[in-house]
Amino acid sequence: MTLVFEPKANRPAPTNTVGFVGWLRQNLFKDIPNTLMTILGLYLTITVVGWVLNWALFNAVWDASSRRECLDLVGRSGACWPGVVEWLPNMIYGLYPKDQVWRINLGFLALIVWLVPLWMGGVKSKVAIGLSVVAFYPFLASYFFLGGDKGPIWTALVALGLWGLVWVWSTALCERRTGLSIGTWLAQRFADADNDIAQKRVRQAAALLLFVVCVGLVSQWSLSEVRTQFWGGLFLTLVISGIGITFSLPAGILLALGRRSDMPAIAMLSTLFIELFRSVPLITILFMFNTMLPLFMPAGTEVNQLLRAIVAVCLFAAAYMAEIVRGGLQAIPKGQYEAASALGLGFWQTTTQVVMPQALKIMIPTIVGNFIGLFKDTTLVSIIGLFDLMNMARAVGEDSDWLGLFIEPFFVVSLIYFVFCFAMSSYSIGLERKLSAGRDR
Amino acid sequence: MLNCQVGLPTPGFYSLAEDGTWSGADVDLCRAVSAAIFGDPDMVEYQSVTSAVRFTALSNGESDMLSRTTTWTAVRDTQLGLDFTTVNFYDGQGFLVPADSGITSALDLDGATICVLTGTTTELNLADYFRANGMTFTPVTNENVNVLVETYLGGGCDAYTNDKSGLAARRSAFPDPSAHVLLPETVSKEPLGPVVRQGDDAWANLVRWTVFGIINAEELGVTSANVMEMTASADPNIARLLGTEGNIGEGLGVSPDFMVNVISAVGNYGEIYERHIGENTPIGIPRAGTLNALWNNGGIIYAPPFR
Amino acid sequence: MALTSQHDDTAERSSLLRRVFFDAKIRAIFLQVLTVAGVVGFLGWLINNTMTNMAARSLSAGFDFLDVSAGFGIGFTLIPYQEGDTYLRVFTVGIMNTLLVAVVAIVLATILGLLVGLARLSTNWIIAGVARAYVELLRNTPLLLQIIAWYFGVFNLLPRPRDSVVLAEVFVLNNRGFYMPSPVAEPGFGIVLTAFVLSIIGAITLYKWEAARRDRTGKSFPAIPAGFAMIVFLPILVYAAAGSPLSWDVPALQGFNFVGGVSVPPSFCALIVALAAYTSCFIAEIVRAGIQSVSKGQIEAAGALNLPANWTLRRVVLPQALRVIIPPLISQYLNVTKNSSLAIAIGFPDLVSVWMNTSLNQSGRAIPIVAMTMAFYCIVSLSVSLVMNRYNRRAQLKER
Repeated sequence: MTLVFEPKANRPAPTNTVGFVGWLRQNLFKDIPNTLMTILGLYLTITVVGWVLNWALFNAVWDASSRRECLDLVGRSGACWPGVVEWLPNMIYGLYPKDQVWRINLGFLALIVWLVPLWMGGVKSKVAIGLSVVAFYPFLASYFFLGGDKGPIWTALVALGLWGLVWVWSTALCERRTGLSIGTWLAQRFADADNDIAQKRVRQAAALLLFVVCVGLVSQWSLSEVRTQFWGGLFLTLVISGIGITFSLPAGILLALGRRSDMPAIAMLSTLFIELFRSVPLITILFMFNTMLPLFMPAGTEVNQLLRAIVAVCLFAAAYMAEIVRGGLQAIPKGQYEAASALGLGFWQTTTQVVMPQALKIMIPTIVGNFIGLFKDTTLVSIIGLFDLMNMARAVGEDSDWLGLFIEPFFVVSLIYFVFCFAMSSYSIGLERKLSAGRDR
Repeated sequence: MLNCQVGLPTPGFYSLAEDGTWSGADVDLCRAVSAAIFGDPDMVEYQSVTSAVRFTALSNGESDMLSRTTTWTAVRDTQLGLDFTTVNFYDGQGFLVPADSGITSALDLDGATICVLTGTTTELNLADYFRANGMTFTPVTNENVNVLVETYLGGGCDAYTNDKSGLAARRSAFPDPSAHVLLPETVSKEPLGPVVRQGDDAWANLVRWTVFGIINAEELGVTSANVMEMTASADPNIARLLGTEGNIGEGLGVSPDFMVNVISAVGNYGEIYERHIGENTPIGIPRAGTLNALWNNGGIIYAPPFR
Repeated sequence: MALTSQHDDTAERSSLLRRVFFDAKIRAIFLQVLTVAGVVGFLGWLINNTMTNMAARSLSAGFDFLDVSAGFGIGFTLIPYQEGDTYLRVFTVGIMNTLLVAVVAIVLATILGLLVGLARLSTNWIIAGVARAYVELLRNTPLLLQIIAWYFGVFNLLPRPRDSVVLAEVFVLNNRGFYMPSPVAEPGFGIVLTAFVLSIIGAITLYKWEAARRDRTGKSFPAIPAGFAMIVFLPILVYAAAGSPLSWDVPALQGFNFVGGVSVPPSFCALIVALAAYTSCFIAEIVRAGIQSVSKGQIEAAGALNLPANWTLRRVVLPQALRVIIPPLISQYLNVTKNSSLAIAIGFPDLVSVWMNTSLNQSGRAIPIVAMTMAFYCIVSLSVSLVMNRYNRRAQLKER
């Protein structure tokens, strides 16, 4: 008996998992069900995308002077874009006077300029900058958008807005260069380093000087009044959702604290408010405010239609935000409260210094999600007759040249919404990843 | 400023141009009233709201007047705090069907699916007509005309019903207008006119007599082109209309020559009609021989005299 | 005398003032009284204004219009409705339609949401990609636009009644709606229904008995499959024994359209599909997040105990995941109910469309109508919230 080494047959080489073919095999054609799914997926994608492209691009009419011409050229197999192109400025700016549109552009440019320091390296007072946007920007923007006569108080407020913008940029630049905020830097420069009171004086003087300069500048501005009836399109959508978002965060925090409060009456009232506004569709709230707010007010008070919609959107958004904040607060372990209380911190100190910073961090993705929801929900103001994007799109089809043009404007509106919401949601996903980096193992 | 409520843009009656200006027959009525009060037709603030909130917006004081194809009915006039001033357009409801459907009368529509604008008298008349004739139907409702028209063109309903003026206008924008026919029946009376809030009689009078003024102007041959020469006219009827004789303006609380301002701003009834809904417009509803012709011309447009 | 008493008085007052500021208990009471007084005063002011305004404008807030004949037709009703019926009937029709849309959309959205959630985790690149595109596209466009898109992009493009798509000779799809045969109960069908109800009760009893026995003895018994078998087979047996007491009303083309059976209009289909598709994106994310929230240690511990895979899922992962999944899931369900109000855009006669739009328009009674609509949504949401709060209290992690 001899032992003969008989090697077993070689196992086949593992399938290629790298390179293009490998990637295909791994990701698309792993087994039979997978292959079938791939084919189905490809088929669906190609049909849908092909159909849309055919309609929107290859069969579309780009040059015509009325819908009749479009229909004579391609019938209904292709889109008729000239009408939408003609109305595009209206879909963006509403009925805002065409020679004043630069004011809207400037207003939004100011917002972007204001926000840029938040993304600059080396800037420390980002929280203050963020707060300054909420506190001061609205004055500046509302003057740009609304215009009209401004009395002394209005002038001062607008000047405050300008003051904020200048402060943000000088601080940002100063911090990049010296690492100190503009106030501290000025104080150290012009006052004795040990003399706190003198430093404070210098800061106050600088702020006052800047404010006076701003008032001087603002009082020179004179913009004609554009009444809110002329606001519309994307601009109006942004204004309504912007105000809703800005208002809902503080109001939501207060409501959530109220709901969790130890005082039964306050807890009950907050709960009542939150549940009431959360339980009915936004459309009914808009409807109620639109038809009934004038009845609630003393006879003769005029409440402008835009304001009514904004009030409705704000209250609705605040109730939703309150529940999100409550969720965030519930996630904070009891130990945190107990530790704060052991340190002798009071209610407001515990809330602002210990609990809220942690809770807000957890809530950021949900809050952004809520903002997206609110932005989309503003389409509903079209139902009560405000000329937002949706209603402007509808107005295109009622223009006698473009009578019946209906699908195309809606297609464009969908695209606009998609671009905005997708940008926001991608940002939120990125943020979520950044924030959760420390938690995952 | 005059807060004049119109509807969501609708060609012919209140249409919105890309530059944000309003025009149309009902819009001209707002301009006429503005001219009567201020001597300037442009002192108007247009409010465009959905039909769902039109009456509340008027009764809670946001709008001063409502000039939008609104049918005068007993319930609206008596129970909603509204005051219908007069009629400036007589409409009637009809049906539009595809030409190849073989339907020749509204009585053939038993069991049909019918597209109808919601929240209008049209919707009620439709139900009444079918009940009266012992027929059944399935309504497809919407408040957006374009949605209904798309549904109808896609075959989602067998007939589309609306005021005949609206049907004609919409058909002209169809891919193939000749493939659709209007049925002969007119199934309702739709007297349309401006509405004001109940309780302010002087204001209702002013709106009412502005409309009567432009109708009288057509009857007397006063147009926007010749109104200035007409102020020298020896005809006492014209003299009273234009305020060179009598004190009609005083009774209405406006200047004696208010009709001069109105007519030079918007013209007389015939001019308004031809400019916005007549045969030479995209709407193209001929006037001769219809109810909307002057009373001495076979129609029922008839205004009490300026006296 | 007077002087001293006055002195005492001020001392007392200052101490009261002091206590209002510095004694936490009294401060709390003071604050609450102030808030309640403020809110009540504000509400009183609003009501007072409304009363004066309504009197001045000769508007009526009464509910007397409810028994007036509405006079308009409704395209889709679950309960019999004729043009001459009252406004109250219209309200009921609207409620039924809203509830129907909500229930059907919730069921579809849950199924679709699970599928999409799985597809997003798929290793197949195309499938995961399509699922991602689906979620991003639907999540980031307003629902109102999507409903319009489904209506015109799909359901209005279906063939006309004469060229209907007919499936299995009884299901009909055309641009007037979706038609199904409807069951017509014949005498004797009651027995089958009774058998069905009895078998459900039996299955529940069996499950309870099994749970009790398992707790007592540790022995297990496949109660769930047995229960299902009971629910499915017992009624079928009775049905066969009773001689099939059920016939079908099959839709047939007659005149303009199909007649007979049950049917839903295209606006209903578009609304359901749009709501289900839109909500499924959110549900997919909720389910995924819920399953991922169960910490890995739990699964590893179950593995260490040598639990079989389906036990790990059923007894370890799911109970913990459900705690995270259910609250947001319910709030999505409530969102579906509220979002169904967008039916107004394509004219499906739900509560908002038929009541707060058409009826309000025809009767002009804004206040009672808006109040009734809001009351309906409030009642639905609040009753669901109550149940949810009870569940939450039970499921919450107990901290000391």
